[in-house]
Amino acid sequence: MNKWVPVVLCTTLLAACAAPTRYIDPAADDGAVAMTMDYRDFERAADAALQDMLASGAVDNPSGDRYVMAVSRIVNDTMQRIDTDQLVKKIRVGLLRSGKVITTTAVGVDGAEDAMNEKARELRNSDEFDQSGVQKKGTLKAPDLSLSGKIIQRNHKVEDEQQVEYYFQLSLTDLQNGLAIWENETPIIKRGSDKGVAW
Amino acid sequence: MSRMMQLTVLILITGLLGACAPIQPEREVGARDDLRVDPDVQGFITVTELLEQRADMPGGGDLLKIQFAVQAYQDTLMEWAVTWFDAQGMVVPGVGEGYRPARLLPNQTRFFTATAPHQKVVSYQLHLREDREP
Repeated sequence: MNKWVPVVLCTTLLAACAAPTRYIDPAADDGAVAMTMDYRDFERAADAALQDMLASGAVDNPSGDRYVMAVSRIVNDTMQRIDTDQLVKKIRVGLLRSGKVITTTAVGVDGAEDAMNEKARELRNSDEFDQSGVQKKGTLKAPDLSLSGKIIQRNHKVEDEQQVEYYFQLSLTDLQNGLAIWENETPIIKRGSDKGVAW
Repeated sequence: MSRMMQLTVLILITGLLGACAPIQPEREVGARDDLRVDPDVQGFITVTELLEQRADMPGGGDLLKIQFAVQAYQDTLMEWAVTWFDAQGMVVPGVGEGYRPARLLPNQTRFFTATAPHQKVVSYQLHLREDREP
């Protein structure tokens, strides 16, 4: 029985030394920078892209209406497994809040983002449903614009440090004529210990 | 005399009704400064200009844009953020709340720009602080 006492004591001491889990306020986060992409990088890239997009006037419809945007492919060409929605969602939210662009979830490169757009229309002519509430034909809005892009990563060794470069490249295409009416690249460069890994 | 009495009663009733009325809290909202520079970096940098402009948009509206220039006297790591406000003084959210880092070399002057997230933005507050990252 006594042999367990040191084990329990050591475990307790180790637990006491561990950093306590805590919430981070993004507005006042003074934590260390990681070589990998963290939420601050996505936030900065999205903010820079959105501000540039709004300032360019590219998303301002001359008719005064909101543009309808579809999200095309955003390629993750980095060594990290990331969900590109971390970038795209922020831009979508910013565009929606700006009152200038609304995103369609009915059109996507790999099918509708929200399959319910189609499913809800399959209820047509079903005797089980009140047809007055079923979506009519020709009500879905076709997109005017398409957002596509790529996130690129490049690693370099600089003396005894490593440099990791991330490039957030985005294009906004006018689907009427296929022309890229807005393009942007936000580089985020990090330099740190060679011992750290960026993937 | 009766007229005096009537007047007195009227004043008393008015006074009583006034006392029963809910007291409106007085708001003391001081005018916000467009620019706030933390003392930690004030000795190393000077904001040499702070410009604002409403840029016309093709759809008929306009957006507030600002540009500011910072001159450094020594190698300085700083961070900046802009908070946007509508006509009622309420915050208009942009993308995220984080600060943007910037490094200024000695005697370097850098120009920064920011665009409001919505056309209802009429004012802003630019905040410059020292770099907090360890």
